[in-house]
Amino acid sequence: MKILLIIPAYNEESNILYVINSINEYKKKNKELNLDYVVINDCSTDNTGKILDENNIIHIDLVHNLGIGGAVQTGYKYSYYKNYDIAIQYDGDGQHDINYLKNIIQPIIDNNADFVIGSRFIDNVSSFKTSFSRRLGINILSFFIKLVCGKKIYDTTSGFRAANKDIIKLFANDYPIEYPEPITSVEVIKRKFRLKEVAVNMKSRVAGKSSIHSWKSVYYMINVCLSILITGSRRYK
Amino acid sequence: MSYSLVLLMSIFTFILFMTVIYLLRKRKIPVKYALIWIFSIIFILLLLLVPNLMENIADLLGFELLSNMVLCLFLGLLMFISIALTVMIASQKKKTTILIQEISILKQIINDIDNNKL
Repeated sequence: MKILLIIPAYNEESNILYVINSINEYKKKNKELNLDYVVINDCSTDNTGKILDENNIIHIDLVHNLGIGGAVQTGYKYSYYKNYDIAIQYDGDGQHDINYLKNIIQPIIDNNADFVIGSRFIDNVSSFKTSFSRRLGINILSFFIKLVCGKKIYDTTSGFRAANKDIIKLFANDYPIEYPEPITSVEVIKRKFRLKEVAVNMKSRVAGKSSIHSWKSVYYMINVCLSILITGSRRYK
Repeated sequence: MSYSLVLLMSIFTFILFMTVIYLLRKRKIPVKYALIWIFSIIFILLLLLVPNLMENIADLLGFELLSNMVLCLFLGLLMFISIALTVMIASQKKKTTILIQEISILKQIINDIDNNKL
């Protein structure tokens, strides 16, 4: 099975090499996996592009900044064109633990799921420490998703996710540009695909700032909740 | 409605009409987008030129002042046009995103081919 790691990166000059090195080490240890990666450089204004060039890391430079949704969708388009069997979203900031890769793709290999979310909040595997307000936000989103599609998702904003061929095709053609993580979950369930959550470990950020700032979070929450309700109210064939 | 007001609005509508025609002739906007303006202008002209039409409608709808109805009318018209514009912008943005993604992927593939040849 051809597997592709999609690594969106925006101004990650201090993290990206660490991320790529950990993936290369993992590849050496697990030679049976047919694992490739592609970094999507979302028009970074720091040295991310230069680092990617100098170290011969396979990457796509977006010609304009698209934001996380547009960057990740580029990765799905790439995996669709290159005919990958599994695509995995993997953050470029060092938060995700590559050693959980097999956990996250196993349900797809066993054909038990079409789409797998790596979750911080089940089984207590994760050492991830998160603030009360962030936890509250994630629970609210969880409630809204349960409301519109009747399935509980514990980690609604996880960016560590694996998709099979059907989902790759779906996302290559249509991917929400705003608030992609919770919205895609709703869409996947509404389209009657099998979604599964598995426990993964996530570290706190190695360096740099997260893209979600506290003063914007109320506005963010209103936006996402409304998006979930709208997405949930659409009819799917 | 006073004659001076009718005159003022007629002049205003005429300028609006000429502007739209000018933009069309200079190929600045396609007919598709100009139609909404042309229909609006015809609507306003109709109201202006048929005597007592506006007064009767205002009476019928319960407006105390004719000017209130005129304001409401324009406000509604503008809101409708801005919603139409929002839809157009959203569709433009979608297309731009697709173009950026496809071009960026193509550049990567071309780079790949170049590197393999060297």
